[in-house]
Amino acid sequence: MHASFLTHARSRYLWIALALCVASITAYVWHDPGIAPNGGTWLGYTLGTIGALLIVWLMLFGVRKRSYASTLGSTLGWLSAHVYLGTALILIALLHSGFQFGWNLHTLALVLMLAVIFSGFFGVYAYLRYPTLMTRNRDSATRDAMLEEVAEIDQNALALADGIAPEIHAVVLRSIQNTRLGGGVWTQLRARDGSDLAIAKVRQAIAERATQSGGAGKPLQAGQTLVAMVDFLAGQTDDRQTEALRKLIDMLSRKRALATRVARDIQYQAVMEIWLYVHVPLSFSLLAALLGHIVVVFFYW
Amino acid sequence: MRWLIRRVLRKGKGSVSYEEDIHYGEVLTIGRASDQAIFLPDLRAALRHASVTPTGSGQYRVESLIIAGIRVDGQITYATTVGAGATIEIGTTRITLLEARQDYDAAVEVAPLDRSEQAAASARRAKPTSLSQTWLAKRWPSWIGFLAVLVFGLLLPMASHVAAPLDKVLRAAPLPSLASWSSGELDAAHHFFGQDCRSCHENAFLMVRDTACTRCHAGTPAHADPARFNVPELGDARCATCHKDHNGTRGMIDRDQRLCADCHADLSVRTQKASSLPDIRDFGRDHPQFHVNLPAWGNDGTFTPKVTPWNATLKENSGLKFDHAVHLKADGLNTPKGRKTLTCASCHTPEPGGAAMKPIAFETMCRECHALGFDTLAPDRQVPHANVGAVVYTLDEFYARRALEGGYEDARAPTIVRERRRPGSPPLSRQEQVEALAWARDRAREAARTLFTGKACVTCHSIAPPSGPEGDWRIAPVRVAGAWYTGAGFTHARHTTMACADCHAGAERSKASNDLLIPGIENCRQCHAGGEAPDGKLASTCIACHRYHQSDMLTLDRRR
Repeated sequence: MHASFLTHARSRYLWIALALCVASITAYVWHDPGIAPNGGTWLGYTLGTIGALLIVWLMLFGVRKRSYASTLGSTLGWLSAHVYLGTALILIALLHSGFQFGWNLHTLALVLMLAVIFSGFFGVYAYLRYPTLMTRNRDSATRDAMLEEVAEIDQNALALADGIAPEIHAVVLRSIQNTRLGGGVWTQLRARDGSDLAIAKVRQAIAERATQSGGAGKPLQAGQTLVAMVDFLAGQTDDRQTEALRKLIDMLSRKRALATRVARDIQYQAVMEIWLYVHVPLSFSLLAALLGHIVVVFFYW
Repeated sequence: MRWLIRRVLRKGKGSVSYEEDIHYGEVLTIGRASDQAIFLPDLRAALRHASVTPTGSGQYRVESLIIAGIRVDGQITYATTVGAGATIEIGTTRITLLEARQDYDAAVEVAPLDRSEQAAASARRAKPTSLSQTWLAKRWPSWIGFLAVLVFGLLLPMASHVAAPLDKVLRAAPLPSLASWSSGELDAAHHFFGQDCRSCHENAFLMVRDTACTRCHAGTPAHADPARFNVPELGDARCATCHKDHNGTRGMIDRDQRLCADCHADLSVRTQKASSLPDIRDFGRDHPQFHVNLPAWGNDGTFTPKVTPWNATLKENSGLKFDHAVHLKADGLNTPKGRKTLTCASCHTPEPGGAAMKPIAFETMCRECHALGFDTLAPDRQVPHANVGAVVYTLDEFYARRALEGGYEDARAPTIVRERRRPGSPPLSRQEQVEALAWARDRAREAARTLFTGKACVTCHSIAPPSGPEGDWRIAPVRVAGAWYTGAGFTHARHTTMACADCHAGAERSKASNDLLIPGIENCRQCHAGGEAPDGKLASTCIACHRYHQSDMLTLDRRR
């Protein structure tokens, strides 16, 4: 098994980050500025400088990640350091602030920094948890292969349904139209493939049509599933058609299982990406706040 | 009704031909069944998929005949009314509704979708399968966040530093103003001008200058003359070296012992012996004995208190004779108003500020018992206190009046004084007046001598007789220095939880007023430790008793 970014190089950056934390805490406890600890003491300036340099360096990870030709350490090593030193930054920034907070630009920078780091924690969690789930869910297929299989099943199901009854054909057609893999942000994150919705709509449409045609045929009971509906129709057909229906049901079930897997695949991918849409933009807000913080401190020295 | 059905036939690359057909009927049916007006051999079409009915005025009613619905203009629908130009898509076929022309009542065009059109259509219908295909983005929110924080957090407030009216606008609007730059609450005393950052931060990127402080604090005493005492800590110090604002409402005063001890630990070395002050490091461990301000008078009689190192045998000379032991007797004293037990507070009451005690006042504290009466025949009459001239004057007047009025029942007095004047009796002759007034003068002198040397004044004061016949009685001055510790700011107000005897031990046994009842340093050290209090005492840094701004020669802006 390959080393995770947490255990990269025998957790070298964990130890570096821990050493940094211990050194900072020791200095903070030992340092007695006479007044309340704050960013304006020599230790405050020192910790602030370390913190600012760390923030800039952590943001450079975004550049390093894209520099495929770079030989300046492996990307895995950079990520490992990014995670551990980013975590250490919480402590360094809090000690720098002397735990003084207020409604001001300085605390805004701190809050933005914490938001960036904690969104990063979610990223760590997602990177540790979801790749395994994703591999298991795909079951050595690819998403494109699964989608192709879905399309193939659709074609075969249509052909099969056409041989049974026009109503069944229409239902299958509707089901194909309603199977929507993917969608908006929320849909992707919730892994909804729309097939449940399709079944509900199909049921509703059939019930409406049964009512409109003056009660011709038994109206469908609420709560009946697609399978039950097919069974209901099958009651009026001969054995050959029943056999075909069984086959159709198998086919649709397989399709549905596939669709669910694709939706889950999309979900895992979305969860692994969603935090970056917070992490990256907020880190740029943080960069501006940090810039402001440093300029302001010396502007009003 | 005549329908024009125009079929588009594609042959090879880009070559297109048309085939026109006429359909008679009110309704145009579409489906995979062979009886349909538009026959679609496509599995994705139902046998009877949809119907189109012209509604007149160029509109068409499109209805789906199956539960799957029909895609009109890209939207799945069951029934809709559309105008000419609308398209219906079924499988790989596109049916466009046309305007009726020439002698037709309605017209449609049926065209197969070619491969690229099919791909485009399915791509159009495909939903995003990754977040990067949705509205979510990283680039523009990053720019917006970066610029918003930079503009509202930094640039706008910075501009309002230069253009004051902008600051007013920002503060009125719910936008971050210069106030959002404040790293912490200002000291309470600075709140009244704290809205205007520029009152202290005059120049951008320059530290707050002392002149900004002395605009208000001009008269504040300086510490010591940096020209005389060549200590960098004194010469280079800015106000803000010690006074760092934005550290809370009571955050301006730095009480750190090091502020003092850094220099005073070896002051004579640091100042090349310019300072004669003893080295002090810590009140608890390394502080010299207190100095007390003992009352003393110069040769010309002026009060010149003498600062003297405290020791246990030190005596003070306030000029007063007073026996604390007698007055503080536990079983009380006989007074004109009965038995009374005195306590310290009977005479020693704090000044309004609470730091020191009010001076002892004869009129309110002593006269009740120590009445200044002088004549047994007029026991209610008393002389005033403190003013020798007024005492003599009072006696002269009293006896002159008695002599002239007569009726003074004293066996030693002449007849003319003893004799009561009656209404209608003749006035005293010149001779009689001279005789009576001579008696009065002698009697007044005798009364004065009795008062000064016998029973009244001498009880508490040192008395010297008049130097000549016309001279006055002389009373030694009485006073204390007011503040016993000149270099420190002791206040009774902060020690009210203590009993008097806790510090002024032995007062109730003191028989002589020259007993110094002011304690030395060991008394304070019972409770107060130095900068650090490891043994459960009260940590007291230098600032607890001393002031930094204490020079009596220099103020912050100039020499006095």
